Amino acid sequence: MSLDTAAKLEAGAEEALELPPRPRPSMLMIVIGLGALFFTVLSARRVEFSPGDLISNLTRSNPVFDGLLNMSWDEMFSSRSRKAFVETLQLAVLGTTAGVIVSLPLALWATEIGNPYVVPRLILRSINNVIRAIPDLLWAGLFVLGVGIGALSGLLALFFFSLAVMVKLTADTLDGIDMGPIEAANAAGATHTQMLRTAVVPQILSAFSSYALYDFELNLRASAVLGLVGAGGIGQRLDFFRNRGQWDKLWGLVLMFFLVVFVVERISVSIRRRLV
Amino acid sequence: MIRFDKASVTYPGGVSAMRNLDLEISDGEFVVIVGLSGAGKSTLVRAINGLVPLTDGGLQVNDHDVPNLDRKGLRALRSEVGMIFQGFNLVDRTTVLNNVLMGRLHQVPTWRTLVARYPQADIDIAARALERVEILDRAYTRATNLSGGQRQRVGIARALAQEPKIILADEPVASLDPPTSHVVMKYLQQISRELGITTIVNLHFLDLATAYADRIIGLRDGELVFDGPGSAADETTFRDIYGRSLTADDTMAKQAAL
Amino acid sequence: MNATVSTSGSVRLPSKGRDTFRLVLTTTFVVLFGWSAISVELKWSRLLEAPADMYRLAQVMFGNLAWDQFGNLVGLMWDSIAMAWMGTLIAAVFAIPLSFLAAENLVGRPIAWVVRQVFNVLRAVPEVILALLFIPVFGLSPMAGVLAIGVGSIGSLGKLFYEIIENIKTNPIEAADAVGASAVQRLRWGVIPQVAPELTSFLLYRFEINIRASSVLGIVGAGGIGGALADAIRFKEFGQAGLALIVVIVGTIAVDAVSGSIRRRIVAGPKQADSVEPDEEPLPPTSTGAPALASGPRG
Repeated sequence: MSLDTAAKLEAGAEEALELPPRPRPSMLMIVIGLGALFFTVLSARRVEFSPGDLISNLTRSNPVFDGLLNMSWDEMFSSRSRKAFVETLQLAVLGTTAGVIVSLPLALWATEIGNPYVVPRLILRSINNVIRAIPDLLWAGLFVLGVGIGALSGLLALFFFSLAVMVKLTADTLDGIDMGPIEAANAAGATHTQMLRTAVVPQILSAFSSYALYDFELNLRASAVLGLVGAGGIGQRLDFFRNRGQWDKLWGLVLMFFLVVFVVERISVSIRRRLV
Repeated sequence: MIRFDKASVTYPGGVSAMRNLDLEISDGEFVVIVGLSGAGKSTLVRAINGLVPLTDGGLQVNDHDVPNLDRKGLRALRSEVGMIFQGFNLVDRTTVLNNVLMGRLHQVPTWRTLVARYPQADIDIAARALERVEILDRAYTRATNLSGGQRQRVGIARALAQEPKIILADEPVASLDPPTSHVVMKYLQQISRELGITTIVNLHFLDLATAYADRIIGLRDGELVFDGPGSAADETTFRDIYGRSLTADDTMAKQAAL
Repeated sequence: MNATVSTSGSVRLPSKGRDTFRLVLTTTFVVLFGWSAISVELKWSRLLEAPADMYRLAQVMFGNLAWDQFGNLVGLMWDSIAMAWMGTLIAAVFAIPLSFLAAENLVGRPIAWVVRQVFNVLRAVPEVILALLFIPVFGLSPMAGVLAIGVGSIGSLGKLFYEIIENIKTNPIEAADAVGASAVQRLRWGVIPQVAPELTSFLLYRFEINIRASSVLGIVGAGGIGGALADAIRFKEFGQAGLALIVVIVGTIAVDAVSGSIRRRIVAGPKQADSVEPDEEPLPPTSTGAPALASGPRG
């Protein structure tokens, strides 16, 4: 430190030191904070939020809850439920696979590295955003409307949903890759496709596989409920029980299914850990 | 044979990285380019394989009239010119062999690269390239597990696998320690002499330049300010090229001593 | 004449070694896929007709939009957004304290494990099914949706939160300790400043996801625009379904945009953008040959 500063410190700083002006909390943060508060109040009123009602309602007894507490496991042995179970799994596998395979070239086309033309890229990204904005259950409903009730609608819904998720995740990863190997491939005289295959794809392969497993988990969960709109799988059985008020059977089926999902998730997580 | 004919490169923005360059490099020469950062070394080297296009003037590389090449022509040119990078530019997540095979891409049909089924002949060429830089035993090691010096050797092997007529090296040793730098420079020199490959190397360490170069080219502000045998270059020469007095950063030995 | 690399004969590569993990994984997948493809009960011929079917549907839905319903639908979309927001907030209120109980660096393994399993269960159940549980409790009203989303999100938020807590740097906490701070002060000065931006960011991220759930919960009757959609589908009011779909898409994208930009500001906020002086060699332009520099290199 300079001699001046040392001298000042030694002198015991008899003169009050002048601090630099204190930075104001950012205007933007204040606006956001207030906005959030305002939004919360509005929302609470819209949904008629009332803590008192909340508690009294929750503590009342009701058949659905009773069914939850007295789950029936018989459904496991019903052949129709088992078929629905299997169908749910199959839809998840097929939908995910198809979606994952198609998503790789699409993701490449959505980024600068794979697609030097701005307009098609933007169009692709916008279409992808729209697809992402539609929940999977809604997709299933649309397909049921257009194509009819059954597993096909569920499959198509899962396919599109997978596309949306995978393209977004993969394109974002592609935006952050190392350009070095790409320069090397081009300097060696590679064609565009060769460059993508040897310099780009190897960089994202493990992330891509990880996303694919994540997508499978999402699809497995989603396929359980697609049947509620008629798109196949155990959802249809759930709807059946719901309409007949057989809550014990409904919850039994739900629990069983989610035990399976849980196991699949554990396996998927450990596989993903090894992929990185 | 590489010939620049009043070649210029001006980047959008207006900066002139190459001004009216007249330069001829014969087959088999080992040339080192020196100059300050921003003097145009990288531009010159990248102009030779068309990565940086000329904005004016002519450039002849063997039978290729570079400024007038279409994309197919550029690919053909680049397959004859191997390039080695400061950052190595390897694909970390894959094996050494796969990295070297990148040098064979121009000779291998696209469908084969898509399914990664390279012909045995090309694999042999890649293997021999690896042997030449003495790293064959690591062929199936992932690139990420290698040291800096080993990675640059893989980079050299990749360039060699192209069976090139020319090798360009853009600051190949800037990220390496002194002993490893000498190893890499020795490989480059050896390869150039034994195989008759024209080699052009950018360096910013002057002692390395004088130690290995047959011919030194000095650039300042995009202009050629020195062109002579390595033995003719001494401290005064470099001071002229740099336009300033030399510091410890300019020599590898002195910088290592810091 | 191309220079040959070496004059010696062909060279032997070292042994490749086998990656059993990859092999097992690929085989399992192939078997699973094959079995699914063969045994699923699907009329594959209908797949070919699907594009035409969907096109016809789109024509009917968007060709005749029920503009008279616009105000009603927008109102319902607001309901869904409000539902998602309240649900996310409620989840945060419960998840934040619970997440402290799930952080191994704070409570020790056994307790953390139990709390984490609770999170896992809540995460696994889709909101639609939770909605089934809450509708008899609250009736066919948005509150059912709020609770469904809230309870479901406790799991996800809890997981995200405890991961943040486990990753905080101990240095600021040590520093606070060293100057003699109490436990609460340590929390206030050592922990909260580190986690607050990320927590808020995850909250908003969850909000974006919950919008999608809330739009749909109406299908089972829990309020919001899903109900209008379900009715439209049931009664084949295609014009209304089309408009509802558009409202959902626009609303979701809008929420994503606002929430996304707030998230980015929060995370980037405290940092100042450093201006770095470029003093390296000019960057090579894109390798197709076209210079890609917006401004030239410095001297």
